[in-house]
Amino acid sequence: MNLDIEQLIEKYYEGETTLEEEQELRAFFLSENVPAHLENEAKQFRYFGQTRKEQPSAGVSYRTVTQLSKRSKVRSLNSWGLRIAASLTLLVVGFGAGIWYTQHEGGLSEENSHVAEMKKTLQAPEQTSASERILAVNQSYELAQGDEEITQILLNTMNFDENVNVRLAACQALQRFENEQIVRDGLIQSLKIQTDPSVQLALIEALVLMKEKRAASEMLRLAQNQKVLEIVRLKAEEGVFHLKQEKQTNNT
Amino acid sequence: MELKAFTQLILPTQGRLFRLAKLFLRNREEAEDTLQEVLMKLWSHRQQLESYQNVEAFAVQMTRNLCLDKLKSKEWQSRAGEANWEEVEEQKVSPYQQVELSDSAALMRKLIDELPETAKLILHLRDVEEYSFEEIEQVTGMNVNHIRVVLSRARKEVRDKFLKIQAYESGH
Repeated sequence: MNLDIEQLIEKYYEGETTLEEEQELRAFFLSENVPAHLENEAKQFRYFGQTRKEQPSAGVSYRTVTQLSKRSKVRSLNSWGLRIAASLTLLVVGFGAGIWYTQHEGGLSEENSHVAEMKKTLQAPEQTSASERILAVNQSYELAQGDEEITQILLNTMNFDENVNVRLAACQALQRFENEQIVRDGLIQSLKIQTDPSVQLALIEALVLMKEKRAASEMLRLAQNQKVLEIVRLKAEEGVFHLKQEKQTNNT
Repeated sequence: MELKAFTQLILPTQGRLFRLAKLFLRNREEAEDTLQEVLMKLWSHRQQLESYQNVEAFAVQMTRNLCLDKLKSKEWQSRAGEANWEEVEEQKVSPYQQVELSDSAALMRKLIDELPETAKLILHLRDVEEYSFEEIEQVTGMNVNHIRVVLSRARKEVRDKFLKIQAYESGH
Protein backbone atom coordinates (compact mmCIF):
# COMPACT_ATOMS: atom_id res chain seq x y z
CA MET A 1 0.00 0.00 0.00
CA ASN A 2 2.65 2.43 1.08
CA LEU A 3 4.77 1.50 -1.85
CA ASP A 4 1.88 2.11 -4.16
CA ILE A 5 1.27 5.45 -2.58
CA GLU A 6 4.88 6.48 -2.87
CA GLN A 7 4.88 5.50 -6.51
CA LEU A 8 1.72 7.44 -7.01
CA ILE A 9 3.26 10.46 -5.30
CA GLU A 10 6.21 10.20 -7.62
CA LYS A 11 3.90 10.04 -10.61
CA TYR A 12 1.90 12.90 -9.24
CA TYR A 13 4.88 15.21 -9.15
CA GLU A 14 5.74 14.26 -12.68
CA GLY A 15 2.29 15.28 -13.78
CA GLU A 16 1.58 11.75 -14.91
CA THR A 17 -1.25 10.74 -12.59
CA THR A 18 -4.79 10.40 -13.82
CA LEU A 19 -7.69 12.06 -12.07
CA GLU A 20 -8.61 8.76 -10.44
CA GLU A 21 -5.14 8.25 -9.09
CA GLU A 22 -5.12 11.76 -7.75
CA GLN A 23 -8.41 11.07 -6.01
CA GLU A 24 -6.85 8.03 -4.45
CA LEU A 25 -3.94 10.11 -3.22
CA ARG A 26 -6.26 12.72 -1.82
CA ALA A 27 -8.31 10.12 0.01
CA PHE A 28 -5.16 8.66 1.45
CA PHE A 29 -3.79 11.95 2.69
CA LEU A 30 -7.09 13.06 4.15
CA SER A 31 -7.38 9.90 6.21
CA GLU A 32 -6.14 9.78 9.78
CA ASN A 33 -3.32 7.30 9.38
CA VAL A 34 -0.77 9.09 7.29
CA PRO A 35 2.73 7.84 8.03
CA ALA A 36 4.98 10.44 9.66
CA HIS A 37 7.45 10.57 6.81
CA LEU A 38 4.69 11.56 4.39
CA GLU A 39 3.19 14.16 6.69
CA ASN A 40 4.76 17.04 4.80
CA GLU A 41 3.47 15.80 1.49
CA ALA A 42 0.03 15.65 3.02
CA LYS A 43 -0.01 19.39 3.61
CA GLN A 44 -0.30 20.14 -0.05
CA PHE A 45 -3.20 17.79 -0.55
CA ARG A 46 -4.95 19.03 2.54
CA TYR A 47 -4.59 22.56 1.41
CA PHE A 48 -6.16 21.76 -1.95
CA GLY A 49 -8.94 19.82 -0.25
CA GLN A 50 -9.62 22.75 1.99
CA THR A 51 -9.61 25.24 -0.83
CA ARG A 52 -12.10 23.12 -2.72
CA LYS A 53 -14.63 23.59 0.05
CA GLU A 54 -14.66 27.34 -0.24
CA GLN A 55 -17.92 28.75 -1.51
CA PRO A 56 -19.10 32.26 -2.14
CA SER A 57 -21.45 33.48 0.55
CA ALA A 58 -25.02 32.46 -0.11
CA GLY A 59 -26.02 36.09 -0.46
CA VAL A 60 -23.96 36.56 -3.57
CA SER A 61 -25.80 34.21 -5.84
CA TYR A 62 -29.14 35.32 -4.46
CA ARG A 63 -28.25 38.95 -5.01
CA THR A 64 -26.99 38.22 -8.45
CA VAL A 65 -30.05 36.31 -9.51
CA THR A 66 -32.46 38.94 -8.23
CA GLN A 67 -30.39 41.59 -9.94
CA LEU A 68 -30.44 39.61 -13.13
CA SER A 69 -34.18 39.08 -13.05
CA LYS A 70 -34.73 42.78 -12.43
CA ARG A 71 -32.29 43.62 -15.11
CA SER A 72 -33.79 41.27 -17.64
CA LYS A 73 -37.20 42.87 -17.20
CA VAL A 74 -35.98 46.42 -17.27
CA ARG A 75 -33.56 45.63 -19.98
CA SER A 76 -35.88 44.14 -22.54
CA LEU A 77 -38.29 47.00 -21.94
CA ASN A 78 -35.46 49.42 -22.05
CA SER A 79 -33.86 48.22 -25.18
CA TRP A 80 -37.11 48.36 -27.15
CA GLY A 81 -38.41 51.46 -25.47
CA LEU A 82 -35.07 53.10 -25.93
CA ARG A 83 -34.82 52.16 -29.54
CA ILE A 84 -38.23 53.58 -30.34
CA ALA A 85 -37.64 56.66 -28.24
CA ALA A 86 -34.28 57.22 -29.84
CA SER A 87 -35.63 56.91 -33.37
CA LEU A 88 -38.51 59.22 -32.57
CA THR A 89 -36.19 61.75 -31.00
CA LEU A 90 -33.96 61.61 -34.02
CA LEU A 91 -36.87 62.16 -36.35
CA VAL A 92 -38.20 65.09 -34.35
CA VAL A 93 -34.79 66.66 -34.02
CA GLY A 94 -34.15 66.20 -37.71
CA PHE A 95 -37.43 67.77 -38.72
CA GLY A 96 -37.04 70.55 -36.20
CA ALA A 97 -33.55 71.34 -37.36
CA GLY A 98 -34.68 71.27 -40.98
CA ILE A 99 -37.56 73.64 -40.39
CA TRP A 100 -35.53 75.96 -38.25
CA TYR A 101 -32.73 75.97 -40.76
CA THR A 102 -34.86 76.74 -43.78
CA GLN A 103 -36.73 79.46 -41.93
CA HIS A 104 -33.71 81.21 -40.61
CA GLU A 105 -31.52 80.60 -43.56
CA GLY A 106 -34.34 81.67 -45.90
CA GLY A 107 -35.17 84.75 -43.85
CA LEU A 108 -31.61 85.81 -43.58
CA SER A 109 -30.69 85.18 -47.15
CA GLU A 110 -33.82 86.99 -48.32
CA GLU A 111 -32.90 90.10 -46.44
CA ASN A 112 -29.27 89.79 -47.35
CA SER A 113 -30.01 89.26 -51.00
CA HIS A 114 -32.28 92.33 -50.98
CA VAL A 115 -29.57 94.48 -49.56
CA ALA A 116 -26.96 93.01 -51.85
CA GLU A 117 -29.16 93.46 -54.87
CA MET A 118 -29.92 97.01 -53.86
CA LYS A 119 -26.29 97.83 -53.41
CA LYS A 120 -25.42 96.24 -56.69
CA THR A 121 -28.10 98.12 -58.55
CA LEU A 122 -27.27 101.49 -57.05
CA GLN A 123 -23.54 101.16 -57.39
CA ALA A 124 -23.69 100.45 -61.10
CA PRO A 125 -26.05 103.13 -62.38
CA GLU A 126 -24.78 102.90 -65.95
CA GLN A 127 -25.93 99.27 -66.22
CA THR A 128 -29.41 99.71 -64.80
CA SER A 129 -32.49 101.64 -65.75
CA ALA A 130 -33.86 104.52 -63.69
CA SER A 131 -36.92 102.59 -62.64
CA GLU A 132 -34.79 99.70 -61.42
CA ARG A 133 -32.79 102.11 -59.33
CA ILE A 134 -35.94 103.68 -57.90
CA LEU A 135 -37.13 100.21 -56.99
CA ALA A 136 -33.82 99.55 -55.33
CA VAL A 137 -34.01 102.79 -53.39
CA ASN A 138 -37.53 101.92 -52.28
CA GLN A 139 -36.27 98.57 -51.03
CA SER A 140 -34.49 100.46 -48.30
CA TYR A 141 -37.91 101.03 -46.74
CA GLU A 142 -38.02 97.32 -45.97
CA LEU A 143 -34.99 97.61 -43.75
CA ALA A 144 -35.71 98.04 -40.09
CA GLN A 145 -32.76 100.33 -39.70
CA GLY A 146 -30.21 101.61 -42.08
CA ASP A 147 -26.57 100.90 -41.75
CA GLU A 148 -23.85 103.31 -42.66
CA GLU A 149 -23.14 101.63 -45.94
CA ILE A 150 -26.72 101.90 -47.11
CA THR A 151 -27.12 105.54 -46.12
CA GLN A 152 -23.87 106.29 -47.91
CA ILE A 153 -25.13 104.59 -51.02
CA LEU A 154 -28.39 106.49 -50.81
CA LEU A 155 -26.54 109.78 -50.34
CA ASN A 156 -24.40 109.07 -53.36
CA THR A 157 -27.45 108.21 -55.35
CA MET A 158 -29.18 111.40 -54.26
CA ASN A 159 -26.20 113.55 -55.18
CA PHE A 160 -24.92 111.95 -58.31
CA ASP A 161 -27.61 109.87 -60.02
CA GLU A 162 -28.23 111.15 -63.50
CA ASN A 163 -31.97 110.72 -63.20
CA VAL A 164 -33.97 113.32 -61.28
CA ASN A 165 -36.59 110.87 -60.15
CA VAL A 166 -34.02 108.53 -58.71
CA ARG A 167 -32.41 111.43 -56.87
CA LEU A 168 -35.80 112.46 -55.51
CA ALA A 169 -36.57 108.93 -54.40
CA ALA A 170 -33.24 108.71 -52.65
CA CYS A 171 -33.87 112.04 -50.96
CA GLN A 172 -37.21 110.82 -49.67
CA ALA A 173 -35.75 107.50 -48.58
CA LEU A 174 -33.06 109.30 -46.63
CA GLN A 175 -35.62 111.27 -44.65
CA ARG A 176 -36.44 108.05 -42.82
CA PHE A 177 -33.00 108.15 -41.28
CA GLU A 178 -33.22 111.76 -40.15
CA ASN A 179 -31.84 110.92 -36.74
CA GLU A 180 -28.48 110.03 -38.19
CA GLN A 181 -25.96 112.84 -38.23
CA ILE A 182 -24.45 111.62 -41.46
CA VAL A 183 -27.82 111.91 -43.18
CA ARG A 184 -28.40 115.47 -41.93
CA ASP A 185 -24.93 116.55 -43.00
CA GLY A 186 -25.44 114.87 -46.32
CA LEU A 187 -28.70 116.67 -46.97
CA ILE A 188 -27.16 120.08 -46.18
CA GLN A 189 -24.22 119.28 -48.45
CA SER A 190 -26.60 118.19 -51.15
CA LEU A 191 -28.29 121.59 -51.07
CA LYS A 192 -25.06 123.09 -52.45
CA ILE A 193 -24.72 120.48 -55.13
CA GLN A 194 -28.23 120.04 -56.46
CA THR A 195 -29.20 122.08 -59.49
CA ASP A 196 -32.52 120.52 -60.28
CA PRO A 197 -35.43 122.58 -58.90
CA SER A 198 -37.59 119.69 -57.81
CA VAL A 199 -34.82 118.09 -55.82
CA GLN A 200 -33.90 121.46 -54.36
CA LEU A 201 -37.50 121.96 -53.29
CA ALA A 202 -37.65 118.49 -51.76
CA LEU A 203 -34.44 119.09 -49.86
CA ILE A 204 -35.61 122.44 -48.48
CA GLU A 205 -38.86 120.88 -47.39
CA ALA A 206 -37.10 117.97 -45.75
CA LEU A 207 -34.63 120.15 -43.89
CA VAL A 208 -37.37 122.44 -42.63
CA LEU A 209 -39.29 119.40 -41.40
CA MET A 210 -36.19 118.19 -39.64
CA LYS A 211 -35.75 121.65 -38.13
CA GLU A 212 -32.18 121.60 -39.22
CA LYS A 213 -30.99 125.13 -38.35
CA ARG A 214 -27.55 124.65 -39.79
CA ALA A 215 -29.19 124.59 -43.20
CA ALA A 216 -30.42 128.20 -42.85
CA SER A 217 -27.29 129.86 -44.23
CA GLU A 218 -27.24 127.59 -47.22
CA MET A 219 -30.90 128.33 -47.89
CA LEU A 220 -30.23 132.03 -47.62
CA ARG A 221 -27.51 131.66 -50.25
CA LEU A 222 -29.98 129.84 -52.52
CA ALA A 223 -32.58 132.52 -51.96
CA GLN A 224 -30.13 135.19 -53.05
CA ASN A 225 -28.79 133.23 -56.03
CA GLN A 226 -30.28 134.71 -59.18
CA LYS A 227 -29.46 131.66 -61.24
CA VAL A 228 -31.84 129.56 -59.25
CA LEU A 229 -35.42 129.25 -60.34
CA GLU A 230 -37.72 131.72 -58.72
CA ILE A 231 -39.98 129.18 -57.05
CA VAL A 232 -36.94 127.62 -55.43
CA ARG A 233 -35.76 131.01 -54.21
CA LEU A 234 -39.15 131.66 -52.66
CA LYS A 235 -39.19 128.23 -51.07
CA ALA A 236 -35.70 128.79 -49.70
CA GLU A 237 -36.72 132.14 -48.29
CA GLU A 238 -39.71 130.53 -46.67
CA GLY A 239 -37.50 127.82 -45.28
CA VAL A 240 -35.08 130.33 -43.81
CA PHE A 241 -38.02 132.16 -42.28
CA HIS A 242 -39.37 128.99 -40.74
CA LEU A 243 -36.03 127.95 -39.33
CA LYS A 244 -35.40 131.41 -37.89
CA GLN A 245 -38.84 131.47 -36.34
CA GLU A 246 -38.07 128.13 -34.84
CA LYS A 247 -34.87 129.60 -33.45
CA GLN A 248 -36.68 132.55 -31.95
CA THR A 249 -39.39 130.51 -30.29
CA ASN A 250 -36.67 128.28 -28.93
CA ASN A 251 -34.79 131.30 -27.62
CA THR A 252 -37.73 132.97 -25.88
CA MET B 1 -32.26 32.25 -22.86
CA GLU B 2 -34.54 32.48 -19.89
CA LEU B 3 -33.26 33.40 -16.48
CA LYS B 4 -34.14 29.99 -15.13
CA ALA B 5 -32.21 28.15 -17.79
CA PHE B 6 -29.34 30.54 -17.30
CA THR B 7 -29.13 30.01 -13.56
CA GLN B 8 -29.35 26.26 -14.03
CA LEU B 9 -26.50 26.40 -16.46
CA ILE B 10 -24.27 28.84 -14.65
CA LEU B 11 -24.94 28.58 -10.95
CA PRO B 12 -23.34 25.14 -10.56
CA THR B 13 -20.10 26.68 -11.71
CA GLN B 14 -20.22 29.66 -9.42
CA GLY B 15 -18.24 27.96 -6.67
CA ARG B 16 -15.47 27.25 -9.14
CA LEU B 17 -15.51 30.73 -10.56
CA PHE B 18 -15.40 32.14 -7.06
CA ARG B 19 -12.43 29.99 -6.03
CA LEU B 20 -10.63 30.90 -9.19
CA ALA B 21 -11.19 34.59 -8.56
CA LYS B 22 -10.03 34.14 -5.00
CA LEU B 23 -6.92 32.36 -6.19
CA PHE B 24 -5.95 35.43 -8.17
CA LEU B 25 -7.29 38.20 -5.99
CA ARG B 26 -6.63 36.56 -2.57
CA ASN B 27 -9.61 38.29 -1.07
CA ARG B 28 -13.05 36.94 -0.42
CA GLU B 29 -15.02 40.10 -1.05
CA GLU B 30 -13.17 40.96 -4.21
CA ALA B 31 -13.68 37.43 -5.44
CA GLU B 32 -17.40 37.66 -4.76
CA ASP B 33 -17.58 40.98 -6.58
CA THR B 34 -15.76 39.46 -9.49
CA LEU B 35 -18.06 36.47 -9.50
CA GLN B 36 -21.00 38.81 -9.71
CA GLU B 37 -19.44 40.73 -12.54
CA VAL B 38 -18.78 37.51 -14.41
CA LEU B 39 -22.36 36.36 -13.96
CA MET B 40 -23.60 39.71 -15.23
CA LYS B 41 -21.36 39.51 -18.23
CA LEU B 42 -22.40 35.97 -18.97
CA TRP B 43 -26.00 37.03 -18.73
CA SER B 44 -25.48 39.82 -21.21
CA HIS B 45 -23.85 37.29 -23.54
CA ARG B 46 -26.58 34.75 -22.94
CA GLN B 47 -27.59 34.59 -26.60
CA GLN B 48 -24.12 33.44 -27.54
CA LEU B 49 -23.83 31.09 -24.58
CA GLU B 50 -26.10 28.56 -26.20
CA SER B 51 -23.69 28.22 -29.07
CA TYR B 52 -20.73 27.47 -26.83
CA GLN B 53 -19.96 23.83 -26.35
CA ASN B 54 -18.33 24.35 -23.04
CA VAL B 55 -19.88 27.22 -21.17
CA GLU B 56 -17.83 26.53 -18.10
CA ALA B 57 -14.53 26.87 -19.93
CA PHE B 58 -15.78 30.16 -21.32
CA ALA B 59 -16.81 31.35 -17.88
CA VAL B 60 -13.48 30.31 -16.41
CA GLN B 61 -11.61 32.18 -19.10
CA MET B 62 -13.74 35.21 -18.53
CA THR B 63 -13.11 35.09 -14.80
CA ARG B 64 -9.40 34.74 -15.26
CA ASN B 65 -9.24 37.66 -17.67
CA LEU B 66 -11.30 39.83 -15.41
CA CYS B 67 -9.06 39.02 -12.45
CA LEU B 68 -5.90 39.72 -14.39
CA ASP B 69 -7.36 43.02 -15.55
CA LYS B 70 -8.15 43.90 -11.98
CA LEU B 71 -4.68 42.99 -10.79
CA LYS B 72 -3.21 45.16 -13.50
CA SER B 73 -5.40 48.13 -12.69
CA LYS B 74 -3.72 51.04 -10.97
CA GLU B 75 -6.40 51.16 -8.33
CA TRP B 76 -5.64 47.62 -7.34
CA GLN B 77 -1.93 48.09 -7.24
CA SER B 78 -2.18 51.10 -5.00
CA ARG B 79 -4.57 49.28 -2.70
CA ALA B 80 -2.58 46.08 -2.52
CA GLY B 81 0.28 48.03 -1.00
CA GLU B 82 -1.78 49.15 1.94
CA ALA B 83 -3.73 46.13 2.95
CA ASN B 84 -2.89 42.60 3.80
CA TRP B 85 -5.39 40.47 2.02
CA GLU B 86 -4.57 37.23 3.76
CA GLU B 87 -7.43 35.93 5.75
CA VAL B 88 -7.69 33.34 8.42
CA GLU B 89 -9.56 30.25 7.48
CA GLU B 90 -12.32 28.85 9.56
CA GLN B 91 -11.48 25.38 10.60
CA LYS B 92 -13.03 22.72 12.73
CA VAL B 93 -9.90 21.25 14.17
CA SER B 94 -8.33 21.41 17.59
CA PRO B 95 -6.77 24.77 18.46
CA TYR B 96 -3.24 23.47 18.30
CA GLN B 97 -3.78 21.73 15.00
CA GLN B 98 -5.62 24.75 13.79
CA VAL B 99 -2.66 26.99 14.35
CA GLU B 100 -0.38 24.57 12.65
CA LEU B 101 -2.80 23.91 9.84
CA SER B 102 -3.62 27.51 9.17
CA ASP B 103 0.06 28.30 9.31
CA SER B 104 0.88 25.72 6.73
CA ALA B 105 -2.23 26.66 4.76
CA ALA B 106 -1.21 30.30 4.73
CA LEU B 107 2.29 29.29 3.71
CA MET B 108 0.93 27.01 1.02
CA ARG B 109 -1.23 29.78 -0.32
CA LYS B 110 1.70 32.14 -0.37
CA LEU B 111 3.82 29.62 -2.25
CA ILE B 112 1.11 29.01 -4.81
CA ASP B 113 0.62 32.69 -5.11
CA GLU B 114 4.26 33.12 -6.00
CA LEU B 115 3.89 30.82 -8.99
CA PRO B 116 3.67 32.30 -12.48
CA GLU B 117 0.13 33.01 -13.56
CA THR B 118 -0.26 30.05 -15.92
CA ALA B 119 1.27 27.58 -13.51
CA LYS B 120 -0.97 28.85 -10.76
CA LEU B 121 -4.02 28.49 -12.96
CA ILE B 122 -3.19 24.98 -14.11
CA LEU B 123 -2.31 23.76 -10.64
CA HIS B 124 -5.54 25.21 -9.30
CA LEU B 125 -7.72 23.78 -12.04
CA ARG B 126 -6.17 20.35 -11.69
CA ASP B 127 -5.63 19.89 -7.98
CA VAL B 128 -8.46 21.93 -6.59
CA GLU B 129 -11.12 21.74 -9.26
CA GLU B 130 -10.11 18.31 -10.57
CA TYR B 131 -10.22 19.32 -14.21
CA SER B 132 -9.24 16.79 -16.82
CA PHE B 133 -6.39 17.73 -19.10
CA GLU B 134 -8.86 18.22 -21.93
CA GLU B 135 -10.76 20.75 -19.88
CA ILE B 136 -7.57 22.58 -18.96
CA GLU B 137 -6.70 22.58 -22.62
CA GLN B 138 -9.98 24.30 -23.42
CA VAL B 139 -9.42 26.98 -20.84
CA THR B 140 -5.78 27.72 -21.47
CA GLY B 141 -5.46 26.84 -25.14
CA MET B 142 -2.22 24.96 -24.38
CA ASN B 143 -1.60 21.39 -25.49
CA VAL B 144 -1.67 18.48 -23.06
CA ASN B 145 2.07 17.87 -22.99
CA HIS B 146 2.80 21.44 -22.20
CA ILE B 147 0.15 21.41 -19.49
CA ARG B 148 1.73 18.32 -17.92
CA VAL B 149 5.13 19.95 -17.87
CA VAL B 150 3.84 23.14 -16.29
CA LEU B 151 1.76 21.17 -13.81
CA SER B 152 4.63 18.95 -12.76
CA ARG B 153 6.93 21.90 -12.34
CA ALA B 154 4.37 23.79 -10.29
CA ARG B 155 3.69 20.85 -7.99
CA LYS B 156 7.37 20.30 -7.40
CA GLU B 157 8.10 23.92 -6.86
CA VAL B 158 5.45 24.26 -4.19
CA ARG B 159 6.57 21.09 -2.46
CA ASP B 160 10.25 21.96 -2.55
CA LYS B 161 9.77 25.44 -1.24
CA PHE B 162 7.42 24.19 1.42
CA LEU B 163 9.84 21.52 2.58
CA LYS B 164 12.64 24.01 2.61
CA ILE B 165 10.78 26.40 4.82
CA GLN B 166 9.59 23.60 7.08
CA ALA B 167 13.14 22.30 7.47
CA TYR B 168 14.35 25.80 8.18
CA GLU B 169 11.72 26.35 10.84
CA SER B 170 12.12 22.98 12.53
CA GLY B 171 15.86 23.59 12.65
CA HIS B 172 15.25 26.33 15.20
